[in-house]
Amino acid sequence: MSTERGDGLELVEVDTPLDLAFHGVVRLLVSGIAEQANFGFEAMDDLQLAIERLLAEAGGEGRVKISFQVAPGSVRTRIGPLREGSLAAALQESNGETGTLPLARILSAVVDSFGVEPATDGQIVVRLEKLGTPRS
Amino acid sequence: MSDQANGARAARQREDRELLRRYHVDGDRSAREQLIARHLPLVRSLARRYAGRGEALEDIEQVGAIGLIKAIDRFDLEREVSLATYATPNVVGEIKRHFRDKGWAIRVPRSLQELNARMSSTIDDLTARLGHSPSVAEIAESLGTTNEEVLEALEVGSAYTALSLDAGPAGNDDDSDPMETIGGEDAEFDRSEDRATLGPALARLPDREREILRMRFEEGLPQTQIADRVGLSQMHVSRLIRRSLATMREELE
Repeated sequence: MSTERGDGLELVEVDTPLDLAFHGVVRLLVSGIAEQANFGFEAMDDLQLAIERLLAEAGGEGRVKISFQVAPGSVRTRIGPLREGSLAAALQESNGETGTLPLARILSAVVDSFGVEPATDGQIVVRLEKLGTPRS
Repeated sequence: MSDQANGARAARQREDRELLRRYHVDGDRSAREQLIARHLPLVRSLARRYAGRGEALEDIEQVGAIGLIKAIDRFDLEREVSLATYATPNVVGEIKRHFRDKGWAIRVPRSLQELNARMSSTIDDLTARLGHSPSVAEIAESLGTTNEEVLEALEVGSAYTALSLDAGPAGNDDDSDPMETIGGEDAEFDRSEDRATLGPALARLPDREREILRMRFEEGLPQTQIADRVGLSQMHVSRLIRRSLATMREELE
């Protein structure tokens, strides 16, 4: 794991196995990141859930790099490269029918924005942006 | 046991068997719902045996209910056994697996378990008092502890993805699952669709969990409002959302 400062933002990167056993490690890291961004409990929980769902959807094999750009009140996350597979389909089902719960709808509810970038070998990188609730 | 009690039990077993027949033969999902409701007291009774081990009783009941649902889904009508008898080891097994997977007794210090137990009401109190979802620092200050301990304790309480549901509601490969009775390529296509939308797994969730997911992801309500509506703590709502999504994903694996 590495951290460095750039453009007033703190950057934290981690390269982790996709294995389910490491999801808890990532979740704990995300909670620490969210705390640094001064997120409230609910915003922290939302960001954890978004990343957890993406990792679950990506399957349990291989590794993934996760980077966080942390600023007061916001965290930008990049996760990838990930195998496209069912993940791409799940991310496109934003207007799924009633009685379904596509990943895109979950992400829409828990982060402020998300997007997909192509990576090498037909893989993708998923971007998430989460803003914390402003506090006095 | 008196003749009257024996008679009542036999009648109840006949009713169960008829509901099982309606569910497994006719595909009547309302019969399945009735079976679940009829046997929830059994789940509660079994769950109480495992109370006081670092888990909220309600959480243990939820896990036990998964075992009940699996038992109902797997029940073979040719078996000469009551559903209660068949379900009991399933429920207990599910609860034991939950404790084993979470490993409270082995890995989590008691102080963190206790901190986690206090966290839920603290978050709700602070949310009400401050008018916003509290930060880790605010929670830590209120509990007289450090930010790091709060984060650890939150993780302790939220590590529900470790819950093993590898058997899934359909159980072993030779179990019958209505979702997997379609043939060849169509089955693969449908399965891919299912994985993308979690649709069938969503339909199989208990009503309350399904309603919580609907409020969160269709209505877009924040956890605090959902907690108010369903009468649970915000942290409990968070756990149920996380666990429901993990369960749905596991079912489609």
